[in-house]
Amino acid sequence: MTPNKQNGQVTPAIAGISYVFPEGSQTVAELSGNSQLTSSAATMEAFGFGSVHVAVAESPYQLALLAASQLLSDTGVDRESIGLLIYGGTPGSMSFAPADEAEESANGLCTMSRFKYPATRLQYDLELPNAWPFAVDQLACTTLLGAARIARSLCLTEGIERALCVSSEFFPANAGREAIFNCTSDAACAVLIERNGERNRLVSATNVTKGYYWDVDALRDEIVASYFPTARHVLLRTIADAGWAPADVDWIIPHNVSARSWEILSSLVRLPRARVFSENIIRHGHTLAGDNFINYRDALDSGCIQPGHRVVLFSYGFGAHWTGVAVEA
Amino acid sequence: MRLPHRLFITGATGLVGEGVLHQMLRNDPGLEAFALVRSELRWRHVARRLGSLVSRVAPVLGDVTQSGMGLEPLVRQRVERETSIVVHAAADTSFSRSLDRARFVNTLGSYHVAEVASDCRQLERFVYVSTAFVAGRATGTVLELDNGCQSGWVNAYEQSKYEAESTLRAGALPWTIVRPSTIVCRGPEGDIPQINAVHRALRIYHRGLAAMIPGDRENPLDVITSTYVVEGIAKLALDERALRRTVHLCSGRGALTLGELVDTAYEVWAESPEWRKRGVERAIITDPATYSLFERAVMETGDVRLRAVLSSLSHFIPQLALPKVFDTTLAERLCDSPPAVSSYWKPMLRALIAGSWGQTIEKVAA
Repeated sequence: MTPNKQNGQVTPAIAGISYVFPEGSQTVAELSGNSQLTSSAATMEAFGFGSVHVAVAESPYQLALLAASQLLSDTGVDRESIGLLIYGGTPGSMSFAPADEAEESANGLCTMSRFKYPATRLQYDLELPNAWPFAVDQLACTTLLGAARIARSLCLTEGIERALCVSSEFFPANAGREAIFNCTSDAACAVLIERNGERNRLVSATNVTKGYYWDVDALRDEIVASYFPTARHVLLRTIADAGWAPADVDWIIPHNVSARSWEILSSLVRLPRARVFSENIIRHGHTLAGDNFINYRDALDSGCIQPGHRVVLFSYGFGAHWTGVAVEA
Repeated sequence: MRLPHRLFITGATGLVGEGVLHQMLRNDPGLEAFALVRSELRWRHVARRLGSLVSRVAPVLGDVTQSGMGLEPLVRQRVERETSIVVHAAADTSFSRSLDRARFVNTLGSYHVAEVASDCRQLERFVYVSTAFVAGRATGTVLELDNGCQSGWVNAYEQSKYEAESTLRAGALPWTIVRPSTIVCRGPEGDIPQINAVHRALRIYHRGLAAMIPGDRENPLDVITSTYVVEGIAKLALDERALRRTVHLCSGRGALTLGELVDTAYEVWAESPEWRKRGVERAIITDPATYSLFERAVMETGDVRLRAVLSSLSHFIPQLALPKVFDTTLAERLCDSPPAVSSYWKPMLRALIAGSWGQTIEKVAA
């Protein structure tokens, strides 16, 4: 592989992103009418949410397979060159059941069905004979950023040429769709990481996990209070680790939590030139792990992000992880 | 021949009132006092702490919210005949009261005390214990005089105290207005005689519930010790130079900045390995607009505890973003210089933890 021209060093990069939403969708008013929100529809709307994608007949695995197949087809990469497959999201056998049968399929986690792994099946279905499959669990909404970070590291340390990261998140059909004041959506997202790329280079990645907050029910208030100071810290550290100054940042690619919270966080971080790509909050809601890469892809396609732009992707995973990734477009 | 002074004091069961009574009795062995008390039970606790000095104090039952303080006619006659110094320290110091309630105790109450004082034939001085924060939303240097009310106030307490000052200034009494800053502890040892809004805010920070604080790291934030305030009032009550003057009992130019106070708190909390293990992030000191956004977001959502926390802070925390320096020129001429805040802030923080955030104090008070 030719070393990166800019600094003479190998720099892993995002080679492609693909995502899939289920067919169904509901507005926050409809969700509220079905008692699937804790807050009122008006509050959710004030926080920037409009509608969300809702899986019914689709299984998380189907969505994951579709997103990954599309990505491999779009990029046309040699499938044998993929040395790593990281799956994150709906665990084990639950991922194979349609959303409207999710509660029954959860029982499978206590039987031999628990050994039916979506990562392994993806390796087979996608025909990736050299891909080492494994799953990232317990990183909540930072799963895909975490997967990209692992892929970046293994590309650098083990010489893996390409890594495929896939997440597929869903809520059972009739489950509540509000998570700490955010309206959640179902989606699958696939990201291809290359060992060395000219565009969309993964410059730095930072994570802070605060294990103290593992008991999310008991410590809910403290978690909400800790969110902003820690998010600010992680954003600034990600920028510093990339060797950038706050004024260098062109875009923040958020996770689709409430627009109000991004307004607050942007104000706290004070990046003089940076804009937050928040258009997707109203139309997609919070797709848990997929948000950042779905938004990044849309920001590229819409021409918002231009070559050379300095971009920070940030997400918070309930439980409690704060992750930032710096990308040079 | 000059007769010994006779003091009439209100608020003697409160932090400042009890301290002033104790200090004045100690300073002048000939001094005798009337202490207005609402509750005999609370007075018994004060009496015990006064020790042998209590023999020179006559407790009189009454209430500043009542006309003539509700004094029995014979008691009132005696008070009017003998009193030469009034120290009015009674107040409702809660920041969350409605304006009506705060006025009822602080403004109307002061009027009632002044009404009786104006009938005291030997009255030489009427000392009104106000607050430095009658300055309200004003910023910059606050002088030791009536600075007006154009800026408005953060809470009803500040406003009601300002209105009480105005009533007094307009009258003919030989007044002295003392304006203490926020009392955080007794002295350099840091022991805390009474829990207030500052201590409660610090507890919220310690519990990891303070995400952000409105203000600027460089804003001065005035706090003071009760010893300095009490000694100052005891002196000023007898000093002719303080007649019809307003005196700031504050740290003034010696105040630490908001950043220094908050950072020191974090350092003290982090002395505990258990607390450190939690990984609580430092609170962000931010502009008031961002803080308001955060406050609004929390208020719009259903988190009852966090809403209660922000609601309790809302009567006090806006003051942090209103930088002001209290001029202490007159105070330093008539009293001692205020103690350095750095000498007691850290010990006070440690005392807060050692005293389980006031539980020990409340137990003693009960």
